[in-house]
Amino acid sequence: MLAQQLLNGIALGFTYILIAVGLTMIYGVLKLLHFAHGVIYTVGAFSAMIGILYLNMNFIVAILFGMIIAGIAGVLVERLAYRPLRGTHPITTLISGVGIAIFVESLFQAIFTSDPRGFPATGMKVEPIHITSSISLTNSKLYIIIVGLVCLLLLYAFLKWTKMGVAIQAVSQDMRAASLMGVNVNQVVAVTFFIGSALAALAGAFVAYDFNSLFPTMGSIPGLKAFCVVVLGGLGSIPGTIIGGLILGIVESLSEGYLTGMVIDKDAIAFVILILILLLKPSGLFGKQVEKV
Amino acid sequence: MEGWINPYYLDIIVFLFINIILGLGLNLITGYAGQVSLGHAAFYGIGAYSTAIFSVKIGLNPWLSILLAVIITFLLSAILGLPSLRVREDFLAITTLGLGLIAQSFFKNAKITGGAYGIDGIPMPSIFGHELTDVEYLLLVFIVLLVLIYVLHRLSRSKLGQAWTAIQEDEVVAQSMGINTLYYKVLAFAIGGAFAGVAGALFAHKVSFISSDTFGFTLSATLLSMVVIGGLGTIRGTLFGVSVLYLLPEVFRIFDIKIIDPNYIDTYKMILYGLLMVIMMRYRPKGVFGRKIRHQKRAVKD
Repeated sequence: MLAQQLLNGIALGFTYILIAVGLTMIYGVLKLLHFAHGVIYTVGAFSAMIGILYLNMNFIVAILFGMIIAGIAGVLVERLAYRPLRGTHPITTLISGVGIAIFVESLFQAIFTSDPRGFPATGMKVEPIHITSSISLTNSKLYIIIVGLVCLLLLYAFLKWTKMGVAIQAVSQDMRAASLMGVNVNQVVAVTFFIGSALAALAGAFVAYDFNSLFPTMGSIPGLKAFCVVVLGGLGSIPGTIIGGLILGIVESLSEGYLTGMVIDKDAIAFVILILILLLKPSGLFGKQVEKV
Repeated sequence: MEGWINPYYLDIIVFLFINIILGLGLNLITGYAGQVSLGHAAFYGIGAYSTAIFSVKIGLNPWLSILLAVIITFLLSAILGLPSLRVREDFLAITTLGLGLIAQSFFKNAKITGGAYGIDGIPMPSIFGHELTDVEYLLLVFIVLLVLIYVLHRLSRSKLGQAWTAIQEDEVVAQSMGINTLYYKVLAFAIGGAFAGVAGALFAHKVSFISSDTFGFTLSATLLSMVVIGGLGTIRGTLFGVSVLYLLPEVFRIFDIKIIDPNYIDTYKMILYGLLMVIMMRYRPKGVFGRKIRHQKRAVKD
């Protein structure tokens, strides 16, 4: 039972990590809380569905298609809603982000209706893999873990060994200094948004596939929980985000197994953690020491 | 008197006034004190559930229930506002949003709030044994609204309002000028929350049935967009923002305008709100009636 819950928790944790890594990178570069990240996740899942249904793509191509569309959507959001407001009060960008989230979510409701729909059949069935007689994991969850690990390794390599990756790190450390050193900040920000959005889309498409359901508001709760993960792990810290995501996934999965009939929903636990962290250790588990978040 | 007014219009106006009260409370927290709140629906819910529990489960007089509900919301808002004090403006949005979700999940699961079924049979208040009619209730809500507008006006001109302005402009400077920022920020949450408590209590007695669905994130976000579009930090702005944005979709319903599918009015409404928020932030971040700098300077000098 415990091993089973842990395994589910790790799979869940990887979806949170994939969403939260983008948020943490965006925070690192722009010091901005990207409130519309959840809708990017939704865009990814719906684009993958459209790819399969209308463009006759196979599963893997459709997921890549979803990632690219969502990446473009993320870059557009930055371009239209955040860039014109750069340097203004944080509240302004925040409200702009919330506006985008409301706009896209409602637009999807108008186009696709609010009813959940199944993920289109691709010949890839979701079926359990038995590890021992009592422990099993659906193959879709296993894919999430594998794909998540591969993406994190690729991201690490990208940030460490490519020119653009180093530029992203430089901008995260000090945007002005990086800009003076000849780094094209707008390009760096766009690339960051593209990568972060593509990873969120990957999570969205896999969750839609795993649960066989997608709906316009599917991204709002995961998008908000990703903030909890980011704060838990420490703002701007990718290793922290990974640990934070795993912790949240495991805690949620365990609470589902052991604590039933609580006054607090499974979905609300993340926010309880968030508030506790902000009260006790605002810099998060791995964050730099800050006076005030 | 009842005969010649369509009760549906009366309801719309009552709900409009209740929303304005909510908006004023949020504007107090966000516009006057500069603390973004994305969890205002939680305070509204606390007000509604408190009065419902007192009047239905304990059997108190509705007037007393409303009074107690406001006091409870005032206290709880102060407590719920506390964690927010450790965080910067944009994180405050997530914290308050989290508090909103936690509160909603509490309403949905706790026994005292009737769980998923909500609370039914909330009585209409009565005066000397005469139960208020729809028109009289409208009058009551209107009077409450006027009183609260007056209160907010006085508050913003008081020492308290000046302290809030100072905190909003620059917290560090405010602190070094000897303003106890902690106290004033908690007070902003408490008073703004109490406004929402009044709105919640009035709402509960109007509809007689409440459930957790009403007090969700959508409402908090909608309210924030109304207040922001109207203009933060002004009473006119909230009156304008809430009235226009709340009545706009109703106009389509009342006059039965068939340009758009009536089932989708709420969806189109949200599309419009979202778009307006983005456009407003880009071209006029102060909102329609945003406070001008000159005005702020005078307020400090007074």
